[in-house]
Order: sequence, then C-alpha cells, then structure tokens
Amino acid sequence: MRLSILILVAGMMCSTHIEAAEPTPAQIKHFETHVRPVLVEHCQKCHGAEKQWGSLRLDSTAALLKGGDTGPAIVPDKPDESRLILAIRQTDPDFSMPPKGKLTDKQIADLTQWVKDGAYYPETKATGKPTRDPNHWSFQPPQWPVRPVVKNANWPQSPLDEFTLAKMEAAGVSPSPRAGKRTLLRRVTYDLIGLPPTPEEMTAFLSDESPDAFARVVDRLLSSPAYGERWGRHWLDVARYADSNGLDENVAYGNAWRYRDYVLQSFNADKPYDRFVVEQLAGDLLPFADDVQHAEQLIATGFLSIGAKVLAEVDESKMEMDIVDEQIDTVGRALIGLTLGCARCHDHKFDPVATADYYGLAGIFKSTRTMEHFRKVAKWYEMPLPSEQTRSALATYQTQITEKKAAIQQRVEQAEAALTAGEAVPAKLEDKFPAETQAALKTLRAELAVLEKSPPEVPTSMSVTEAVVADVAINIRGNPLKLGDVIPRRVLPAVRGPAVPSFPVEHSGRKELAEWLVDPQHALTSRVMVNRVWRWHFGAGFVKSVDNFGLLGDKPSHPELLDWLALRFIQDGWSIKSLHRRIVLSSTYQTSSDVDPMDLERDPENRWFARHTVRRLEAEAIRDALLSVSGQLDDAQQGSLLTVKNRAYFFDHTSKDLTDYSSPRRSVYLPIVRNNVYDFFQLLDYPDAAIPTGDRPTTTIAPQALLMMNSDFVVTVSERLAARITHEVTNDDAARIMRLYVLAYGREPSSTEINTAQSLLSDITTATNAQQAWTSLCHVVLASNEFIYLQ
Amino acid sequence: MFDVPFSRRAMLQRSAVGFGSLALASMLAETVTADVRPVDPLAARLPHFAARAKRVIFLFMKGGPSHLDTFDPKPLLTRDDGKPLPFAKPRVQFAPTGNLLRSPWEFSQYGESGAWVSTLFPHLAKHVDDMCFVHSVHGTNPAHGGAVLKLHTGSDNFVRPSMGSWVSYGLGTDNTNLPAFVTICPTLAHGGINNWGSAFLPATYAGTPLGNASVPADQARVKFIANERVSRTVQEREVAALMAMNREHLTHSGPEPALEARINSFELAFRMQSELPVVEDISQESSATQQLYGLDDPVTANFGRMCLMARRFAENGVRFIQVTHSDSKVQWDQHSDLKNGHAKNALEVDKPIAGLLQDLKTRGLLEDTLVWWGGEFGRTPTVEGSNGRDHNPEGFTMWFAGGGTKAGYHHGATDDYGFYAAVDKAHIHDMHATMLHLLGLNHERLTYRYAGRDFRLTDVEGNVIHEIIA
Repeated sequence: MRLSILILVAGMMCSTHIEAAEPTPAQIKHFETHVRPVLVEHCQKCHGAEKQWGSLRLDSTAALLKGGDTGPAIVPDKPDESRLILAIRQTDPDFSMPPKGKLTDKQIADLTQWVKDGAYYPETKATGKPTRDPNHWSFQPPQWPVRPVVKNANWPQSPLDEFTLAKMEAAGVSPSPRAGKRTLLRRVTYDLIGLPPTPEEMTAFLSDESPDAFARVVDRLLSSPAYGERWGRHWLDVARYADSNGLDENVAYGNAWRYRDYVLQSFNADKPYDRFVVEQLAGDLLPFADDVQHAEQLIATGFLSIGAKVLAEVDESKMEMDIVDEQIDTVGRALIGLTLGCARCHDHKFDPVATADYYGLAGIFKSTRTMEHFRKVAKWYEMPLPSEQTRSALATYQTQITEKKAAIQQRVEQAEAALTAGEAVPAKLEDKFPAETQAALKTLRAELAVLEKSPPEVPTSMSVTEAVVADVAINIRGNPLKLGDVIPRRVLPAVRGPAVPSFPVEHSGRKELAEWLVDPQHALTSRVMVNRVWRWHFGAGFVKSVDNFGLLGDKPSHPELLDWLALRFIQDGWSIKSLHRRIVLSSTYQTSSDVDPMDLERDPENRWFARHTVRRLEAEAIRDALLSVSGQLDDAQQGSLLTVKNRAYFFDHTSKDLTDYSSPRRSVYLPIVRNNVYDFFQLLDYPDAAIPTGDRPTTTIAPQALLMMNSDFVVTVSERLAARITHEVTNDDAARIMRLYVLAYGREPSSTEINTAQSLLSDITTATNAQQAWTSLCHVVLASNEFIYLQ
Repeated sequence: MFDVPFSRRAMLQRSAVGFGSLALASMLAETVTADVRPVDPLAARLPHFAARAKRVIFLFMKGGPSHLDTFDPKPLLTRDDGKPLPFAKPRVQFAPTGNLLRSPWEFSQYGESGAWVSTLFPHLAKHVDDMCFVHSVHGTNPAHGGAVLKLHTGSDNFVRPSMGSWVSYGLGTDNTNLPAFVTICPTLAHGGINNWGSAFLPATYAGTPLGNASVPADQARVKFIANERVSRTVQEREVAALMAMNREHLTHSGPEPALEARINSFELAFRMQSELPVVEDISQESSATQQLYGLDDPVTANFGRMCLMARRFAENGVRFIQVTHSDSKVQWDQHSDLKNGHAKNALEVDKPIAGLLQDLKTRGLLEDTLVWWGGEFGRTPTVEGSNGRDHNPEGFTMWFAGGGTKAGYHHGATDDYGFYAAVDKAHIHDMHATMLHLLGLNHERLTYRYAGRDFRLTDVEGNVIHEIIA
C-alpha cells in the first residue's frame, strides 16, 4: 500500500515534469515512426481502448503513468525502472511481454530511447459514452414525482393510471377497452395463483354485479395458499433456487426445500419485503422469540447457500473465493440489479463499482461461513434446526457417548488397580490385563466408534453462520494468490441515499449490509423489487432489464411511476400484497389485449402498457393447469419430493436418472436438479438456476410441440380429462364438449366449435373407439394456443 | 452483437407484410450473414468469412485418455521408469502421484507422415495421414466436472452456452426438419445438460440429445419424437384439428406473432417427427458399411452405431454432432489398472472411428466436416497407486481430421516426460477459436449480449492456431 502510494506520487511529480518539457520535432517523429506502430501492433490490442488486461492501458501519458495492477508502466527518463521496458526485455519469465514472441532488438531500443526522452505521447480527445457515471439515474434515491395532468380524466382509477395514461397520450396511443369479465378472471387467477379459475368461480364472478366484485376476487386469491406457490416461485427464480449444486458433481441439496417453503410462507404471510431481505442475508444474527422463529430465520439464510458450486474444485483457495463471488453476484443482481461480479478481476467496465468496492463486500462474505470444509468433494455447512426434539436427541446422544467413555475408563482403572503393584511398567499396560477384560474393552471401544459415527438424524437446514471476521485483500485480476491492498469491509460508495454503515470487528457485517440495503433511502432496493413485480404482472418491467439497473441496463419507460410505486411500497410497510392490489385494481391492468392497428403501429412492443400483452403461461403454470383441469392436482403444501438423500449424487458415471417427477403436486414442489432439469420445465423456458433471473424468456420451438404432442404426461392428462368429462356429464356429446370448453378455456364453445369437435370425435371413433376419440379431443384442446396463452 | 430472435417488433413486421411461413422466412434469410439475425432463428446463415468446414463431429472420450499411451510417446519416460519426475509437479493436482511410469504399450510410426501411434489404435493408425494432431493442448481444471465443462462451454465455474449451441447460433442449419445440434448418448454426469445446453442463448440453439450414456445406442432416441399410444392416422387427424383450432383462435385474437410462431412450431415438429427416425435408422446402410464401423462385433457395435449415426446426421445437414464414449463401468479414467482399462476402451472406439474417417472420406464429406477427437484432459506420466495415472490438464493430445485442417500434421509438443505442454501451447480456448475459425466464424465477433455485456465462447481468451490450417 505504502509502496504504491510512493510510486503514484513519484508518477504525479514526473507527469508535471513531462508536461513542462516540450517535445522536439525529432522526438515526435521518433514516436510516430518507431514507437506508436509498435505499441499499436504489439501492445494496445490488450492494453488499449477495448481491453485493459491487468487494468493496464498504454495509449496515453496518463495511462502510462497510472499503469496497471503491478504499478506504473513507465517512469519517464528512466527506462531501467520502467515496467514496460523491463517486460519487453523479457529478462524475468514471469514478467514478459508480448505474450507470444519477443520484440526485435531494434524495437526494444526504440522504446527504451522513447522512455529516456520523457515518453512523449500526444494527447487524444476522449470519445464514447460516459461510463462509471455516478450520476446515473438509478444510483439516486427515488423522488416523489409530480402527478401528471391527463386529458381523459375518466379513465384513471388511481394515480398509477394517471402516470401510464400521460405516457400513452404523449405517445398518441389510447388505452384498449376494459377486458371482458371472463378474460379478466382468467387473467388475474393465473396471474395471482398460477391456476385456472374453476367453472364455479367463473359463474360466481359473472353473476356478481356489485362494484367491488373484482376487488373481492383479488382478496380471495391473495389469501389463498396457492398465491405463495405462484409468487414464491417468482422469487425462487431470482434466488436461483435448486435442489442440487450443479456444475461438476451434482449432489443433492437435500435441505434446500426448507428455504423454498420459507419463501412460499413468507409470500403468503405478506412478510414485509425489507424484513424478507434482512432475514435472507442475516437471519442467523437476528433476535428471536422462540424456536419456530429462530428456525425460520436460520432457514432464510439458505438464500446465500443454495447457489451453484463447483464442489470438486481442487484449488481450495479459488473455491472459497468462487463461493464468495457467487454470493456477491447474487446479492447484486437479485436485490439491487447490479452485476457486481464483474468487479472481481477489474473495475466494472460500465458501472461505478471499483475492484476495491467488490473486495469491501467480499470481506463480509468471507467472514461468513458457508462451507463446512473445502476439501474435494467439498461439504457445505448445515445447521441443526432448534426444537425441543432436536435438543433432547442431541443431549441423549451426548450422554450416550459420555457414558460409553466412562465405562471404558472405569474398566481400565479397575484392571490397572488389580495389577500387582511394583511390577515394571510395560510399554502398553493393557497387555497385562486379563484376556476377558481386554476383550470387553475391545467391544466397548468398537461400540463407541459406531456411536461416534452415527449422530442422531435431526432436521438441518442449509444456512450460513459467522466465520473468522477479517477484511480481504484485493485478488489482483481475480487471482487469490496475487494479493493487493487489504480493503476494509464497506458498502458501495456509488449508491446514494442511506447513511454508510460501519462494520464491527466482531461480526461479518451481513446484518449491517442488509440494513443498508433496505434503508428507505436506498436508491435501488425498492425500485428493483417494484419493477420485478410489475414485470411479473405485465410481462415487461419499466426497466426491461429487470436484473440490471446499471449503465448497460435499459432506461425506465416510466421513471416517475417507478419512483411513485417504490415510495408507496415503502409507505405501505413494504407490503407486496398491497402492491399487487394497487396494480391489479388499476385500469392499466384491466385493459383487453385487443389493439387498434394504428396504436399497434405506434407502439408495437406495448411499451406504454395501453393494452394487455398476450402471454404464454410459464412451464409450472402449464403443468399445474393440465393437472388441475384433468382433476388430478394434489394441492398438498410444503415438504420434499426428493428421492435422493442429502449430499448423495443425482448422477454417477452410469448417467441413470433416478429423479421422480410423477407426483401430481404443484410444480413448485418438484425437484429442481441443476444440469438435468425436468424436461417439461427445461423445454418450456425454465431459467438456468445458476444466476438470478427476473425475466424468463419465452421461446417457441419445435421440441415444445413434440412435448405437447407425444409426451406420456400430456397424453395421460388427456385420458384423465376425457374420463372426467365422460363421467361428469351424461351421454350427450354436445354437453360434454360444453363442459370441456368451460373447464379448459373458461368459456362455452360456439356452435361451429361444437360441430368441429363432433366431427373429430366421429372420425376417430370410426378409426379406433369412442374412448380414444374423447382422449384425442381433450389432447387437442389442451395442446391448443388458447389453453396456454393468456389474453 | 445480435438481437434476440423472435423480437416482437421483427415478428410484427413480418406478419404485417403477410410472411407467415417459416420456409419463406428462411429463404429470405439465405443471404443473411452471421452478424444479422433473420426471423427464423435457425435459418442457415453465411459465416463471417469463407468457411473450411460446414459441420463438426466431436468424438468425446469421457474420462481423459492418456496421451502418453496413445499418440505422444516419450523415450525418456521409458528410460526413467520408476525414477522421480526431474521437475516440479503442478501446484494444484487432483490426486497424489509417485514416480514416472512408462507406457505398457509399444509405439510404431505409420503413414507417410510417420506419426507415432501405440498398439492401442491399430485401425486408426492407418489414417494418420488424414489426421492433424495437436500435442500441446492444455486446460485449466484437473477435476472431471470443471474440465468437461471447460471443454464443452469454455467455462469451468459459470453456466455458459455449449460450443455446439454457439455454432448453431452462428450458422443456423441447412435442414430445419432436423435439430441443428445433436449429441448422441451424452453423459449426464459432470456438467450434464450444461454440456449441450444453450444457457442464456435462446433455447432453440440447445443441443438435442439422443438417449444418454446409460442407454445403448440402438435404443437412443430424441425424447418425445414419437407418440407410442396412437396410430399415425389418429395423430394426423389430431394435428389437423389442432391447426384448425389454432387458426380459428388467431382470427379472433387478431394478428399475434407469438401465436403464429406456435402454429409454425407444430408444423415443424410434425415434419421433424417424420424425418428424424429415418436419419436415425441405420438399417438402410449396406452390410459393408455396417462392418466398416464394427457393427458386426459386439465389442465395437455400440460405439460404431453412434459413429454411423453421426455420419448420417452430417450428410443430412446437422451442423454440430457430438458422439460420447462414456462407458457406464470403465471410462477413460484409469487411476488404476491403466493397462486393462485403456485396452478395453481403445478396442471399443478404434475401429468405429477409423470406419467413420474412411466413410467420410469415401463420400467426399471429410473435406468440409471437421472431426475432432479428445477427452477433457490427458493423464500424468507419474504413477497413481501402482499401475494408474492421474488427471493431467497441463498437456495432452487432441486431434482433428478434415474440415480444412492440415492432413498428416503435428502441432506443438509436451516436455520430455509429457507432463506439461511445452512447445506451441494450445489452450482449450485456442481449440475453440480454431474450430470456429474453420467454420468461418470469428470467435471475437460471435457474441451474444446478456445481462449487460457481450459474451463469447472464448470469453476474453482464444487465439486461432493458424499453423494447423491447410
């Protein structure tokens, strides 16, 4: 640290020196003919405008003097002290450039001369867009916006609508009419609980003429446990949830499901989002009233532990920093929409996040214990969950061990006492014991060994705890063996708003970090979450890059509304359910997906939310809907469906898949095996559980069609639906077709549709039999666009 | 940087002018180069520059075959058998190893090029004049998981698109009735689907697996390719009804690109369902051809069938074909009993691979098909236990054939004992850069913007090995 400051000061002094010295025409010519071409050809490809390997640029005086990770590149006038010259001389094999080959002696001499003459480098004007801009919008705390004035004053039902309508009016588009009641119920039911409305719910809503009919539907949905199964699942995308470590070895995270259930319960309980964040980062450090709360908070920290890990990484120091990196990157993307992982090896290229900032955060996570050990195959840490049973089981176990040890001790002492005094002490006293005693001791010790290897199986969770608290040194270019300055733990200086916390020497600082994140003044946390919720309701966020609010992220389409919603969210005590109500009870949410051709021309991407975008259901919702309409869905909550034991391999070298996906439970409870995600999910755009994803893509590919046409699952569901319909409705084809449409689409078929269906039935009955005909018809209905797209 | 295919705007523009069919879209896309995204994400695209290879067949030897016992003989290793390695072992090793262990196999020179090949590969030895050896490959990771991922995706600690998905993203496919990227009997361990997945690239570029390493090749199928429960007649009637319903639905919902795209996907799926089994079906091959691949011998039949399927995929327009040798009992991972393990594995693949090279050559396919052979790493010259070798990513041999590589050529070398790559080192990233180059793709231009930055197969690394290009 001190050395680099000295060098920097020396550099600054020199810089004054060369600015003062005017280059001679000969020096300029020497530079342009013999130096610049060499720098361009051999150096600047990796150390120039495009790349800055080792944080080094060699294309300006300032850059040369600033140098890179190892220090200044040149000391003007002193070639023998200039790293650039030492490197091209290639006398030190660890410090040689260029990486392939060597410059000619003439070129080395030219560059040496140039440095000797003061290393003149002509000034160039800076171009390009601003990077690392600390004034970037998302780093400033949200401000209460002025409510806009709109022309069509009848349309808004709330301030939210005024903000969207103002944008529509400015863009010359008008809101689509309100969606019909059937469409609305189907939309909001799938949206809030991920299931289709039942025919009874549809009938009830259609016949309810009261003005608050829709609001009561929303209340009913929000209080259903299915709500947490839907919205908790959204959060699990962001938390990159999975039941295996993925990457290399793929062993079971046999207790990750506890974190999943915690998330679902938190959404159902409408746990304030600030509290939710703090529990996930520092639940183990929070006070608790009882075992239940204590356990819940320990389980919450699974958020930090369930990431993808390379468990057979042979380089243990690298593995430790890889895990810290994964945690920093997840916290960054998931909670504040920043790609912090970029700063592990170099200052962030676009956002104002320095490598030092990264290692300021790394200190927090390195002071946190995630792993039991790093020896391959490494083991993650698990915490016994506090309860009366656990404590008593552990106490009993401890007593058994103590008793066994005491028995051995007693036996030894008795035998020793029985030995004749005065005898010479042999090397091993026990050899003198009677044979019977020796045998008994052998048995007792064997029993102890067995006991020690078999602690009671108590419930445990993937949790983190505190480790040795220490600040971390910069890993130069991400290399844990090349250390730079030690960086005291700190939060990101670029993010404005909250007071900067101080980090205690006795704690990792996770709690302080979490509290800083959920400070109402924090520029990013509330905005990022509000934007996520909007994205999950509408298919697109105000900031389309929901996981990136940095300089390369998209600009918000509605900055004022984003701030207004963020501040109202905080005012409502960070209540996510209140946010849902605010959104779904607006006119903006309730528009139909019909669109005027002129409006479509003006806003093809629906950036102004003047209509509701037609959207395909997600993988889980498609599967749940198929199970639901065919009457098979098992709505049991919580628990694990893993068939592989904790820490056991999902796959060994035989590649045999032992995971069972046949359960009729909701999709959120099916195992998520990284590297081998259930094919139904995988084909239908389930996100990669390696990094947080708040914006699942929707692709349309032929293998999805094959899945719908040919998979056992879809065919079986069709058979069950056919059986349900033929059982529920008496032997009347038209009535049965009616029932099928109501169940699957929430509407009755037209007479043309009934005719078409009847002709399919009779064709297939002729070719095979009536049972197959009904299965075929159900299959077609379930595979259709109408079933899996929401208007 | 490319835009994501199926952007709403592109789709809307397309439907607005009434181009509803994929076929027309791909016709229009034929003149498009790899930097411009056509409407159909899998439409064939021109490369960045003239390509030497149109497709790749990657023969993956899971476990890590020993270069020292196959293609990289070391006289000093034989001489100093049992003595200590005269220089330092790597800082990070997978398992402890002891002194030097000579190869139990004899080597001879073959062909006009005089390539050294051990007695493990008598059939392949006849083709050395068509092969291009890189003896100085090195990787970054000494464990299977990391090394397999590095080889397939360029990264050993992040989930990244597989090389086959990059290739289909860059070039599309010549036959939209088949997947652009297939992988035959891949291993589900050590990275599993990440090794053929598309990660953040659109799902359409992911590899399509036929079976997996636990499935015999004659039972390896693309999942969901056939409906076992109904006859073809019934299914045709179902699909016709579905199409009619979806079109009817579309007239009510108004022009909606997502819905149109899904209608097209069913048409394509139905065509794929007809064509794929025909390509998979090797019964149409003459018995001479089947024998060439060793299908008449139970020892070579399984891998031979995979190689023969690979050739059929290659001639039917599939862009990237991977064949994996990953026996469920003994992989190329001889921590002990090197002699028996390697002998068994080599016997299973030697004749089929030789047959594939010869067959491709006879049919004129070798010229523009890049065949690539190798494992995730080589093995140590030092002994593990009494008769095994440990993982060695520091230096090992891979070889290419065809696709614009120099025939009968040797590039790079390991040190005198074969521990480290020493001359003209070629990192896995360099192998990726070279493969893309042969396909006409500049590895620095083949990028995809995701989560705020442009990604490449070669990340920030990779140099094309120009010396091996013919």
